[in-house]
Amino acid sequence: MSKDHRLLGARPAPHSVVAACLALLYLIAAERAAGADSAGIFDASILNTTDGQKIYEQVCQGCHMPDGRGATGAGQYPALAMDRTLVAGQYVALTVLKGRRNMPAFGAGYGFTLVGAPAVLSNVQMAAVINYVRTHFGNHYRDAISADDIAVLDRPDRNTAPK
Amino acid sequence: MTRQTAAAISRRRLFAMIGLSAGSTVMYQALHSLGFAAESSFRGPPQLGAAPAGATVLVLGAGIAGMVAAYELRNAGYKVQLLEYNARAGGRNWTLRGGDRYTELGGATQECHFDPGNYINPGPWRLPYHHHGMLSYCKRLGVALEPFVQINHNAYVHSQKAFGGKPQRLRTVKADYHGHVAELLAKATQQQALDAEVTHEDQAMLLASLRSWGGLDKNYRYLKGESSSERRGFERDPGGGLRGRPLYSEPVTFSELLDSGLWAALQLGDLYDFQTTMFQPVGGMGQVGQAFGRELAPLIRYNARVVDIRQDGTSVRATFQDVAAGSALQSVQADWCICTLPLSILSQIPMNVGSAMTQAINAVPYATAVKVGLQFKRRFWEQDEHIYGGVSYTDLPIGQIAYPSSGFFGDGKGVLLGAYIWDELSSMEFTAMSPAERIAKALEYGGQIHAQYPAEFDNGVSVAWHRSPFTLGCFGKWSEARRQEHYENLCQFDGRIVLAGEHASYLPAWQEGAVTSALDAIERLHQRALAAGASS
Repeated sequence: MSKDHRLLGARPAPHSVVAACLALLYLIAAERAAGADSAGIFDASILNTTDGQKIYEQVCQGCHMPDGRGATGAGQYPALAMDRTLVAGQYVALTVLKGRRNMPAFGAGYGFTLVGAPAVLSNVQMAAVINYVRTHFGNHYRDAISADDIAVLDRPDRNTAPK
Repeated sequence: MTRQTAAAISRRRLFAMIGLSAGSTVMYQALHSLGFAAESSFRGPPQLGAAPAGATVLVLGAGIAGMVAAYELRNAGYKVQLLEYNARAGGRNWTLRGGDRYTELGGATQECHFDPGNYINPGPWRLPYHHHGMLSYCKRLGVALEPFVQINHNAYVHSQKAFGGKPQRLRTVKADYHGHVAELLAKATQQQALDAEVTHEDQAMLLASLRSWGGLDKNYRYLKGESSSERRGFERDPGGGLRGRPLYSEPVTFSELLDSGLWAALQLGDLYDFQTTMFQPVGGMGQVGQAFGRELAPLIRYNARVVDIRQDGTSVRATFQDVAAGSALQSVQADWCICTLPLSILSQIPMNVGSAMTQAINAVPYATAVKVGLQFKRRFWEQDEHIYGGVSYTDLPIGQIAYPSSGFFGDGKGVLLGAYIWDELSSMEFTAMSPAERIAKALEYGGQIHAQYPAEFDNGVSVAWHRSPFTLGCFGKWSEARRQEHYENLCQFDGRIVLAGEHASYLPAWQEGAVTSALDAIERLHQRALAAGASS
């Protein structure tokens, strides 16, 4: 996997002197980070793992919950446990890659934030966590999805999230 | 410190520091509207005039937007009903105090054990002086305001990779950065490098201004001495008597300062949204929501989970369940509906509006953010480190540590905002933790800035906004492209329904966005109601 896939995150075009300075900063920082060891346990655990379970526990369960059952308040987070929509690996991959409503996009170039860089998973990491979810929480879908499958979905002509 | 070690600041940490989190549009403003910083469009309370006789309005959501709308419409004579999911008014305008209980999605319940007078604001926590609408409603509702200390020159800026991981006082970093830049520019001027840009007459003024701005000596050098110490602080402060002679402090070198990356933390207080003076309600931001709640008490139905919104040619009907009673579905009907539900919720509720508004509602994901409040046995940041309010910024995952802007010099326990995490990946990771784990991590990281943490910690509370049952996120995230495509469709009336809230504003995450969007919506509603009243 890439050493620091987060460097691939979307970057706003500079429109001003401030933006130019920030872009410069970005480049300096990116250059530095590329040569740096990972700082802190967070970087190490995220950037250096392709373990689907670890990715689920450190990112996905924030909303989908540790037991995969989602949650309900004024609105809800969908359960992944025994979820029939998971039958289509590509549907899941598109959702993770490009986002869907309040589900954030994790594909490089799809997510965006007002401050800082969006959270990004590599194709390998997305495949790992999708395969984990589709074979746990009561799901038994054995047709694993690969990083290459996700790369195919990541077509440059469709760079917006599904409506 | 070598170039190499300093080089290890990761991009996202640095960005987190530049973004400086904030309640904020910092980066957004910087990138997209330089020179057009968004002053509130608030121009005083709306002068609606009288409502058509018998006109009714249903307001969904008793947050700031919903309550501003309800307050003004009621005052104009509309018959108003509000439905609110929570058992309290305010929405994200909310303060956690001792005795409060909070159950997040997933079921974890925290009880806040802060001492009386201590609190954290999980959501908004400060009011810029130009958020005229919020300030006006505070005044009208009798909510007392006090200064919120945003910039504290004696607070820290911190990078794990700079200065051996030792936190630096903001004033030294700022003074040294200005001083070295001023010296450099003075040299360039004196070496005639700027002759093409600046006339000779102006060069004299430029040199004088650089000396005054940067604290340069008579030779335009930034060196250890009186003028630099007057900015960065002294090795030994001036005093009286035999030991009163000051000792000057030694500036850090320009190279070390640039490599540290800490200069990235200097701009925040210069940004329009964070300039002095900022305010906070005495006793917590939640005082605003509570005051509105008292004012509108007869109109608000609490514990109401909206499950369906349906309009026809003459009215709007919202169906809801009372979540406290667990009762059967009920419904309320009105001529018009102002819906302020967060789009993260509204996108899941069936509502018969056109595809333009539907697509707009679905186009806005919500930002992640996490706050952790930590109570300590004493105000060690004041007693040991002379930090009175303000914020320390760090490239650690906690992002920042904010010190209370009230209760200075108190002998009792004090509460810090021990983490305010905006960096998306870090905040997702904190969201995925249990409340106890978030607090443990905030202590672990914060202890690298304040060594007193382990000995002085008392108790804590944390709020991860994606675990919030009433919002499923922190605030609506717009990209420029999506705003271009969907924003107007989001704000337009669809039949008898109009949306309002921070998500329907150019002030994302700020309460002023909620206020101004609500006022814009009710003015349009009133025009429609008058037109409809005249034709009927």
